[in-house]
Amino acid sequence: MLDVLRYAIKEAEAQGADDAEAYAAVSAESEVFIENNDLKQAKSQAISSIGIRVLLNGSLGFYSVNRLSKDDVKGAVSMAIKVARVSPKDRYNSLPSRSKVRLLKGIYDRKAESFEASDAAGLAAEMLQAAKSYDSRVSVDSGNLARAVATHALANSNGTELKERISTFSWSIMGMAIEDSNVSSFDFQSGGSHFVKDIDARRASVEFAETVVNSLGPQRITSFRGEMLLTPSAVNELVEEVISHSINSDTVQKKSSQFAGKLGKKVSSELLAVEDDATNTEGLGAASFDREGVPHRRNVVIEKGVLKKFLYNTYTARKDGVRSTGNAGGSTSSPPSVSATNFIIRPGRSSVDALVSEMENGIIISRFSGNVNPVNGDFSGVVKGGRLVKNGEIKHAVKEVMMAGNVFDALRHLTGVSREQKAIFDSILPYMRFDNVSFTAG
Amino acid sequence: MQGSSTHMLDSLQSLISSSRGVSYVEARYQSRSMTDVNFVNGELERIRVVENSGCGIRVLVDGCWGFSSTSNDTSFDALKESLGQAIAAARALAQTKKNRVQGLAESKMVKGTFRLKVRGSLSDVDIEQKVQVTREAEKAARKHSKAVSTASCVYHEMLDHKVIVNSDGAEVEIYDSKPEFSVTAIAKKAGQSATAHEGLGITGGWDDLFGAKSQFDYAAAASERAAKLLEAKHAKGEKTTIILDPGMVGLLSHEAIGHTVEADFVLSGSVVKGRIGEKVASELVTLVDSGRSDLADNAAGTIMVDDEGVAAERTAIIENGILKSFLHNRESAMTFGTASTGNARAFQYNDEPLIRMRNTFVEPRSDRLDDMIKETRHGYLVKGARNGQADANGEFMFGAEEAYLIENGEIRELMRGASISGNAFDALLSVDMVGDKFRYDIGTGYCGKYQPAKVDGGGPYVRCTAVIGGLQ
Repeated sequence: MLDVLRYAIKEAEAQGADDAEAYAAVSAESEVFIENNDLKQAKSQAISSIGIRVLLNGSLGFYSVNRLSKDDVKGAVSMAIKVARVSPKDRYNSLPSRSKVRLLKGIYDRKAESFEASDAAGLAAEMLQAAKSYDSRVSVDSGNLARAVATHALANSNGTELKERISTFSWSIMGMAIEDSNVSSFDFQSGGSHFVKDIDARRASVEFAETVVNSLGPQRITSFRGEMLLTPSAVNELVEEVISHSINSDTVQKKSSQFAGKLGKKVSSELLAVEDDATNTEGLGAASFDREGVPHRRNVVIEKGVLKKFLYNTYTARKDGVRSTGNAGGSTSSPPSVSATNFIIRPGRSSVDALVSEMENGIIISRFSGNVNPVNGDFSGVVKGGRLVKNGEIKHAVKEVMMAGNVFDALRHLTGVSREQKAIFDSILPYMRFDNVSFTAG
Repeated sequence: MQGSSTHMLDSLQSLISSSRGVSYVEARYQSRSMTDVNFVNGELERIRVVENSGCGIRVLVDGCWGFSSTSNDTSFDALKESLGQAIAAARALAQTKKNRVQGLAESKMVKGTFRLKVRGSLSDVDIEQKVQVTREAEKAARKHSKAVSTASCVYHEMLDHKVIVNSDGAEVEIYDSKPEFSVTAIAKKAGQSATAHEGLGITGGWDDLFGAKSQFDYAAAASERAAKLLEAKHAKGEKTTIILDPGMVGLLSHEAIGHTVEADFVLSGSVVKGRIGEKVASELVTLVDSGRSDLADNAAGTIMVDDEGVAAERTAIIENGILKSFLHNRESAMTFGTASTGNARAFQYNDEPLIRMRNTFVEPRSDRLDDMIKETRHGYLVKGARNGQADANGEFMFGAEEAYLIENGEIRELMRGASISGNAFDALLSVDMVGDKFRYDIGTGYCGKYQPAKVDGGGPYVRCTAVIGGLQ
């Protein structure tokens, strides 16, 4: 694989590029799909692709193709150069210099290589079984269990040559509970691991089943202002998007981040601590180096509610005169963007049960379905799988409640973070409780 | 290397006829070339050209589906190996799958070559020009309104060449072209901001995209709207009369009705299960999903033939308020004892066909928009479909960019974007006026269901009752 990359760099230099980078990924994936309470289909695929980035007089060109023969790579290099010739010049375009990368342990399981479609089918059948045996009213609409064994490699004209293998398993389950004509809200649960021995698909199934059964028999409530307790999935949908948008140097530089100019300042209640950490192997975003070959590390972004750092790739770092934080993201089919790797909200001290018992008047929210504007933080939408809590007790499921507010305001009214955390693909999130949220009955 | 199309058709045909021990096999070669140009605040945010091609093979063995795909090598030997993997995958399910696929509904298999209509081939337009219009529109959006200091513009195109062959006789070749262009403007003052989008996503060519409106027209519309929205107040949350614009009608049709009638969702227990023939909407409502660009040209979800080789024709989901049909592929059609509606779609060569919508819309009637407003005592006219979601029980929520307050038959003031929610079927039962002018308007969107799909939707203006949820 490195041979192909070296060839691409040499070819790009020969065709006149000032700088060149080639990033390739080769993977073997297999996946079993669940649909309508049964296994649906098994799938296997071999994927290989390469992305060529060239710089020519300060202009960027990019071309990607999913074939790795010399002819294809040569063609891709010429096309990338053609694109660079029509792109505007940008003095911040550059490639990172070569740096030492220590390869991460705990992200590749050799046993993943011999994990067959039939193994995936067996586990998917167990997931169905777990959901059904939790409660017969549970109906699984869809789900999956997937394995990927991938190698990603990068070379550039500054002498960088990197290659590593990553294995990932991921699974998901979604659906509802049905009792006569009563259909519950949809719920979606998922999980992931790097090692065969850590696959725990059953847990996602049980959590899904529990959530949909709990949301059966919803009752109408009257509009009120009170507390909301978000599950990790709801934190993922509502809070994470806004924070990860705001801590991204790219959005900061484009003036679409509310955190612009707020380094060292308080941006939330003291209970919030956020980090980006690709070296945490619990998250599926773990890898040793980023999309342009910069080593990954742990970045503390928010500590005790104070904004500490933005996430950078080489381009945005150069703009701000700082160093890349190892957050060049994206696949072989795009030039590097800036993105979080594993997005982590650090756990708090309370248990989920304690967070509930302290609630006077509020709603536990498993899912939020609506619009979240990551720029200004405004959100409005419908509470899914909501349960009403009065004086510390869970009363009943709630029907069609609209919720509207602002994430940045909510972060100032963060009143509790659970010590329990959940990994959702490349996020590791706790339960979070907020005060002063407005709920409108439908 | 990419094979020439006749070579590929021959190769897939030999592959199909060489397969043994399968009750059905389908091979689909797809080559896609994608170009993206994106400018943000005067700078090139993204430029890329991506070429993906490969072959996806799907087999039905002992009532179990297996799928395999390969990209790097599409030689006959590689395809043969991939076929073997698809068969092995299907066999892996055989031990645990409870309900075997009973078979596939009889369908007329299409043979032939289809070129979707374009004015101005995208491959004849140099990438330099694509960069230029995108750059100019982004700049124009910032210059057009004082309050707008942040803008972005995206040009995106997908050019597809597909060859579909299956063991039931389909032999289809399709050339498709789907470009889109969209400008976003953000207006700001004292810690407040408002965002507006103006764009178009179509099946067509360069002149279809820029024939009626120039890049500057798109920019001016987005910029003006963002500036106006910045001065607007938030709507009050309430259940009231709502007039939906064609985009919102398209979004409602797609998100809130369309998904509930996808046969795979129906089988999982969606709210319409067992309700064919029942009244589910006002008799003014005829709701259609079509693979053709009916009623107006260039609908983005146009496919002509689906990925199982079935003609993708007009399907009336609701006719005059009565639920008439679900959306089917051949497998679900067999289960329901009906015919496939041509809704089996795969996004790329390595995706398996799933039941997906195409162009989903409400058919026009006779009401004029002016009369709809005049006959509204209190309510809102909402415009500009944003993202939306819906549950299997018909509960929906989606965003509108603009909400105009209506009092005593007159448009009063523009309010900020808000969510519209309710139960889709309740909303459709409440429809009491349906407009006379039709438009597709959600072609810049993608529908997500494991894989993306280019879809469109639209309708006339429609008046109904729903909940508008503003900030309080």
